[in-house]
Amino acid sequence: MSGSLLFQSLVLGVLLGGLYALLAAGLTLYFGVMRVVMIAHSAFLILAAYLAWYFNKETGLDPLLSLVVTVPLFFAAGVVMQRLLITRLRPATLTMMSVLLTFAIALFIEGMLGFVFTGTQRRINLSYSGSDIEFFGAQIAVVKLVAFGLAAVSLALLYVLLKKSRFGQALRATIQHPQAAQLVGVRTDRVAGLGFGIGLATAAVGGTALSLDATIYPSLHWHWVGPLMAIIVVGGLGSIPGTAIAAMVLGIGQSLLQVELGTTWAQTLFYIALFVTLMVRPQGFFGGRLAQRF
Amino acid sequence: MSQWKRRATALAATLSASALLLTACSGGSGGGGPDDPIVIGVSLPLTGDFSEPGKGVQRGYEAWVSAVNENGGLLGREVELRVLDDQSSADRVVQDYEALIAHYEVDLVFGPFSTRLVVPSARVAEEYGMLFVEPAGAAEAVFEQGFENLFYAAPAIAQDHYAHLADHILSLPEGQRPRTVAVASMDDPFAQGTAHGLRDRLAEAGLEIVVDETYPPNTTDFAGIAAKIDDSGADMVIGGTQYQDAVNLIVALQQLNYQPQIAAFSTAPTNPEFPVAIGDRTEGIIAPTGYTPDADWPSNVAFVEHYTEMFGGPPAEDEANAYTTGQVVAAAVEAVGCAEQGECQQRLVDWLRDNEVDTVVGPLSWDDKGRPQSAHLIQQYVDGEVSIVLPEDTAEAPFVHPKPEW
Amino acid sequence: MPSASDTRRAPAPAQDAAAGPPRGPLSTGNVVRGAAFLVAAALILLFPALAPNPFILFSGVIVASYACTATAWNFMGGFTGYISLGHAAFFGLGAYATGLLTGDLDWPPFVAWFVAGLIVVVLCVPVGIAALRVRGASFVIVSIAFVLILLLVAQAWADLTGGSNGLVVPRPFPDLSRPEHHRAFYFLFVALLAVMLLVWWAIDRSRFGAGLKAIREDEDKAQALGVPTRDYKLVAYLVSAFFTALAGGMYALWFGDLDPIFQFSILLGSYMVLMALLGGVRHLFGPLLGAVIVGSALEFFKLEFGDTQLHLVAAAVLLGIVVLFMPDGIIPAARDLARRFGPQGTSIREMTAAELLERNRAAAARTQADADAPQSKEDRP
Repeated sequence: MSGSLLFQSLVLGVLLGGLYALLAAGLTLYFGVMRVVMIAHSAFLILAAYLAWYFNKETGLDPLLSLVVTVPLFFAAGVVMQRLLITRLRPATLTMMSVLLTFAIALFIEGMLGFVFTGTQRRINLSYSGSDIEFFGAQIAVVKLVAFGLAAVSLALLYVLLKKSRFGQALRATIQHPQAAQLVGVRTDRVAGLGFGIGLATAAVGGTALSLDATIYPSLHWHWVGPLMAIIVVGGLGSIPGTAIAAMVLGIGQSLLQVELGTTWAQTLFYIALFVTLMVRPQGFFGGRLAQRF
Repeated sequence: MSQWKRRATALAATLSASALLLTACSGGSGGGGPDDPIVIGVSLPLTGDFSEPGKGVQRGYEAWVSAVNENGGLLGREVELRVLDDQSSADRVVQDYEALIAHYEVDLVFGPFSTRLVVPSARVAEEYGMLFVEPAGAAEAVFEQGFENLFYAAPAIAQDHYAHLADHILSLPEGQRPRTVAVASMDDPFAQGTAHGLRDRLAEAGLEIVVDETYPPNTTDFAGIAAKIDDSGADMVIGGTQYQDAVNLIVALQQLNYQPQIAAFSTAPTNPEFPVAIGDRTEGIIAPTGYTPDADWPSNVAFVEHYTEMFGGPPAEDEANAYTTGQVVAAAVEAVGCAEQGECQQRLVDWLRDNEVDTVVGPLSWDDKGRPQSAHLIQQYVDGEVSIVLPEDTAEAPFVHPKPEW
Repeated sequence: MPSASDTRRAPAPAQDAAAGPPRGPLSTGNVVRGAAFLVAAALILLFPALAPNPFILFSGVIVASYACTATAWNFMGGFTGYISLGHAAFFGLGAYATGLLTGDLDWPPFVAWFVAGLIVVVLCVPVGIAALRVRGASFVIVSIAFVLILLLVAQAWADLTGGSNGLVVPRPFPDLSRPEHHRAFYFLFVALLAVMLLVWWAIDRSRFGAGLKAIREDEDKAQALGVPTRDYKLVAYLVSAFFTALAGGMYALWFGDLDPIFQFSILLGSYMVLMALLGGVRHLFGPLLGAVIVGSALEFFKLEFGDTQLHLVAAAVLLGIVVLFMPDGIIPAARDLARRFGPQGTSIREMTAAELLERNRAAAARTQADADAPQSKEDRP
C-alpha cells in the first residue's frame, strides 16, 4: 500500500466515521432513555434519503433544503411513536418486544417505499456529484465533505443541547437512573418522548447526508443496521461520547482494511468488534454501564 | 375437555381454510383452443438490482407482442404476455416460473433478465419440459448446467463480448498500447464473464493487471475501490458491471479525478438512462453491445420503426435481445405448428437445435449447449453520442484512443 | 396431542394419551382430542393429493418448511424467552453445508444433510457462548449480527460458497418429475416437523424443560434456585440451531439453488419469530399454526400482489398487531375469548390460586365421573 493511498483511505475513513457517529448517536439515545433497541432507525434513515431524493427530483432544489421539512417531521414522528406505541408494551418484556415492534416499523417503511417509489435504485444527480477538492494530496469529493459537515454540525448541536440545557440535564439524568430522576422531579416519560424525537431527527439529517452521495433502494437499511448496532455496543450502550469514538475508530478501520481486503471482508470488522466486545468487555469500550443487564 | 375440541377444530379449520384459500386462487388460463390467445409467461426484475435493464427487456417483449399481433398473431392466434416481477431475487424467480407454468398454465415461457436469475428459472422450465429461450443468461455457467431446452438469444456469450476490443488493443503499436489494467467486477456471472474474458486476453498478451477487485451485487459505496484504482494509476479500467454499480463506480472515479486512456464497462452504457445518471460525463466510455439500431438485417429496420413508434426512441440492447427472443420462439412455433405445454415443447427444442433463425441481431444458430455462434460489437461515447467503433468493417465512427477526459 | 399448557405437576390428571394416563384412557376428552389430532394429521398428509396443481403443492412445501423453521426457533424462543432474530443464520449454514457436502464432496444427500446439522451445532458453540453472556437487547443485536456476518462471508468467500452467484445443490432424486419431487419433499418436511414436535413434547415434560421455563420467567431467581442457567440456555440454543439447520439443509436439497442474500436474510429470521409469536410460543402447535397462517398468507400475497412490496407491509402490520395486542399468540387469545375461565396459562407463575382450585375441582369431578360411568360426559364446574 502506497503512502498516498493510505492517506486517501484515512481521509475517507474520517468522513465515513463522522456519518456513522451521527447515526449511531440517535440509536444509542433511544437505548439510553427507553432501553429500546430501535431496529427501524436505519429504515427512517433511508426514508429521509428518499424524501431528499424526491424533493430534489420534484423541485430541482438542493436536497439539503428538504431538511427544513424532514427534521421537524421526524421529530414529531419520534415523539408520537414513543407516546403511542412503545409505552403500550409491557415493562417486563419491553426490551424484547420493542425490538420486534420497531422491526415491524422498519418492514413497514421498507414495504411502503417499495410500493411508492418501486425497488429501483435511485441516486441524486447533483451538479457537483463528481467534483472534488484537493487536501494535502488526497482527493475529497465535495458531496462527502458536505455530508461530513452536516454530521459534525448536528453532533455539536446535540452535544450543546445535552450539556447546557435543562432538558439535556433531565435527559442525562433519565439515562443514568430513571427512578432517581423521577424522584427528583424529572418527568421521565415526557423526556423519553422528546429523546425519541431527537433521535429520529438525527436520522432525518443522516439520511439527507447519505442521499448526497449514495445509491438508495428500499432494502438498503439492512446494510446499515449491522454496523450501527455494532458501533453502539462497542461504544457502550447508552453512551453518546463512547458511540462517537467507536464510530470514528470503526469507520477509519473499515476504510483502511478495505484497501487490503476488499469491501466485503472489511465490513466484517464491525461484527468482529461486536463479538470481541461481548466476550471481553460487554459494557463497551468507551463508556456506558448499561449493557450487561440488557 | 371442550377446550381441546375447540383447539383442534380451530387448527383443522385453519388448515382447510388455507388449503381453500390456495385452491381458490388457482385456475389457469388452461386450454389451447384455436381461438384462445397464446399466453407467454415471463418473469422480469422490474424492481431491485436489475430493474433498469429489466424494464428494457419488458419493453422489448411488449414491442414484439404488438408487432406479432399487428401481423395476425402466431398460428393465427393472438399473443398475450403474462409478466411477473421477481424483484431481482433468485427465490422469487423460481416461484414465478413455477406459478406461470403450473398455476397459470401458460403456453410458452420466455427467459428473465440476468444470468443469476436464468440458472434457477431454466431449471424449472427444464423440469417441466418447457422450451426456454432467454435474452440475458450470457455467462459460461449457464451453459455448463446441462440444460437441454435452453437457447441464448444474442450473438455471443459473455466471455467473448470484448473479443473485438481485445483484438484491437493487441494490434496497437507498443507505444500506444496501455501497459497497466485495473479490473473491478460485480460478483455476478455475467458481469464477471465479460470483464474477466477481456482481462485474461490482455494478461496473456503481457499487460499488467494492477488491480483486480470483486464486489457483491448490493455494494453501494465505491469510494474504496475507486481509491485503489486511482492509486494504481492504471492506463485502462475494465468494469464488469450491471447498471447502478457502473454509475456509482464511474462517479467515484471522477470524484478522484482519475483519467484512464481506456474505460470499458459492460451493460450500463448501453442503457438509455446512463448518460443522465452520471451527468453526461460519458466521454470515451466503451461498452460491448450485441445490437445497433443501424444494422441492416432485414427484420431490424421494421423493429426500429415499430419500437420508435411505440416508445418514442430507438431500442437499446436489452430491448433488442428481448425482441430477438420473441423472434426465435416465433420461428420455431411457426415451423412446428404448435404452441402449448406437453410434447409440443420438445418439438420446438428439436427444431431450434437444427435451424438458423434470422433476427434483429443477425442470423442466429446454437451449439448443443445453447451457445450462440456470433460476436458482439463495441460501442463508444463520442461527443455525447453512442457509435459502434469496432470491428472496423461495421464501425460508424473511428475508435477514439486515448479517450478524452471525463 | 398435548400442548405445553398441560405440563403441570398440579394434581391434574395426565392429559395425553401417549403418556398413558393413569385413569380414564377412553374418556371423552381423550377421544375428541385423538380424533381432532387424527383429522389434522390426515389433512396435512392428504394435502398433496388435494392440491389442484403443482404450484399449490410447491407453496405447500414452502409452508411446511416455514413450519419446521418456526418450530425449531421455538426451542429457543419459546422455552427460554430469548428472542433471536437471527435464526436464518442456522438455516443458511445448514443449507450451505448440505450443498457443499453433496456438491463438492459427493456425499449421499441425506447423510450430508444430517452431518451438516451436526457441523452447524459445532460451529454454534462459541457463538452461543458469546451471545448468551448477555441478555435482552444485546442478545438480539448479536443474533442479527451473526446473520449479517455470515451473509458477508458467503458473499466474499467465493471459492468455497460460490459467492453471490450462489451454489447449485444436486438433486437427491434426479429421476423424479418436478411435481413428484415437490410431493416427496412435502412429506420429508412433514416428517422432520413430526420429529421436532416429538422432541419438543419430550423436553417440555422433562426437568430440563422446567429449568428452561424457569429461566424464561425470571432468570435471576432460576439461577438462585440452582438451575444451571448458562448450560441450559446453551443446550436449548444448540438444539434450536440443530433443527433449524436441518430445515435449511432440507430446503437446500429441495430448492436446489442457494443465494446468499436469501439464505442469510433477516427477513427469514423475522418470519420465524412472527409465526411462533402469532401461534403462541408456549404451545406445542403454536409455531405450526402460525406458520400455516402466515405462510399461506405470504404465498397468497406474493401471488396476488407480486409486483409490489405490499407483502412486506402486510407482514409488518401483522407483526405489529401481534406484538401490541396479543404477545402470547392466538391460541391463548382465542381461548380467552372463548372461555372466560379455565386454568390454561402455561406458566406456573400465571396460575392463580383461584385457577388452581378450579382445576382441582375439575379433576375431582372427573374422577367422580370416571368412577360412576367411565364414558359419561364430563361434569365441569
